[in-house]
Amino acid sequence: MIEAGGAALAWLGASLIVLADGRRGLALGLGAIGLGMCAVVWPSGPGLAAGALAIGGILAGAQRLRNGPPGWAIMPAGSTPRLVLCLVGGLLALWIGAAVTSGTGASLRIAVLAVIGMTGVRVFGGHQPEVMLSGVAGLVLAVAAASSLSGTSPETVVFAGGALIAVGTSLIRLPEPSDA
Amino acid sequence: MLDLTPSLVLLGAGAVSVVLAVALTPPGLPRRDLAAQGGVALVAMAVIAMADTLDVVILALLAAAVARAALAGSRKLAARLRPPVVAAALLSLALVFGRVQGPDLLARFSAVGLVAGLAAGVGVLPYIHSHDPDDASEPDAVWIGLLGPVLAAAVLIRARDLLIPDAGGQLGAMLIGLGLLNIAWGTLATWLTKRDSAAWHYSFMADWGLALCGFGILVADGRSAALLVLFGVVLGRFPLQAAARRPEADGASTVRPIKLVVGALLAGSAPFVGFAARVLLLRGAVQISWPLAVVLVIGLLLWLPPSLRLGRSLKVPRGRQALALAAVLAINVAVGLYPLPILRLAGS
Repeated sequence: MIEAGGAALAWLGASLIVLADGRRGLALGLGAIGLGMCAVVWPSGPGLAAGALAIGGILAGAQRLRNGPPGWAIMPAGSTPRLVLCLVGGLLALWIGAAVTSGTGASLRIAVLAVIGMTGVRVFGGHQPEVMLSGVAGLVLAVAAASSLSGTSPETVVFAGGALIAVGTSLIRLPEPSDA
Repeated sequence: MLDLTPSLVLLGAGAVSVVLAVALTPPGLPRRDLAAQGGVALVAMAVIAMADTLDVVILALLAAAVARAALAGSRKLAARLRPPVVAAALLSLALVFGRVQGPDLLARFSAVGLVAGLAAGVGVLPYIHSHDPDDASEPDAVWIGLLGPVLAAAVLIRARDLLIPDAGGQLGAMLIGLGLLNIAWGTLATWLTKRDSAAWHYSFMADWGLALCGFGILVADGRSAALLVLFGVVLGRFPLQAAARRPEADGASTVRPIKLVVGALLAGSAPFVGFAARVLLLRGAVQISWPLAVVLVIGLLLWLPPSLRLGRSLKVPRGRQALALAAVLAINVAVGLYPLPILRLAGS
């Protein structure tokens, strides 16, 4: 039950990163991805290692709150394609993770596929530096969590490394372009 | 236990190459930018080369992408961040599809993801990285000429553990197809494009085409050829591209012997390393399919005119640049004449 909730939370976080242009929405999305990934990898790994993903996501979100376009800016005008991406991405991940693939850890597969796909598309179509960096931070957390799929026990180093990179990505402060 | 030595050999070559490229940078251009970009790439290359798993490779790729994009500032961040992040996303999906239980189709998707991610990460067709020919200060070849070779070696070595044998064969076929496409596109574009800086950019793609074909030919000669091609990219084309970042003014592009020698190096003529790579590649191609060898020979013939053009775009080096150019030529001749130590070191 916790795993399923974690997968839903991770998808919700990725959806926020896709739908939001403001720092609050992006920060909440990062925090949700971190907590969601922590919940889905918790059963298959040591708790401390899984906790690194949650801490990484929350810290990355906290850093994002200090930089980027102000406010929430969730679903600004013209964001229908993004909404479609969230729905299609979630359904596709659900179908592949639960129906096409087999074995234990369906929630982990769904969460990882949804976050990688949605944040990858967000960065591919993005232009705002803060939005793109938030997408990268979310993607990093998902890649770290994907190490749990290897069948062996998940590596603490990968989780901690992923959390560090996610936080470091959100720490980057970019000066405004001089000709803007 | 993974055989990490090919990546480590390319890492060592990359460290030497950054020093040579900085030394070859013409006066008046900011060497600090190239040194900073090269330093970031070397750190990422070290992590990628020594990574145990593909997860760590992807994380290192993402970290390097963010660091490189941040160095460029907010104006160029999107253009610099997009390709490696797309590559990381595709490689991650390949990783997931390769690890989960399910139909064989997933392993094939995994192979497609690996090839597509590699192409996006390196910057070859069908995902050519954006290139600003007007910005002579932008050392954009760092990605395709320095980090890319280590990334490719690391990903393709680890792919053997990820894919089932059937999907491994399909991965090879895709690599050969993509390689031939890049050979044709890279050589013709290098030849026909107007700007010299763009021509250098395309010439990397042509070399990458050879390397991809080598990796796709699933025999020992193919792998050895790919490693030698990548060695030539790192310790030949990359530093020489740095030397050509400010081409001579119009009308001053005279033919000098040194330019012909550089053109011969870039064309893969004997006794340079490219020649040994091409011989091994053709030998490997003959072993699996002679029509492939014929197509490769036709592709190799296209190399000469664009390489001479690139050689002519260099300024005649003086002082520090001349010493660095001599070092590049000497290394390429030495490895070309006796590639065995490099191949043995790389485990081929």
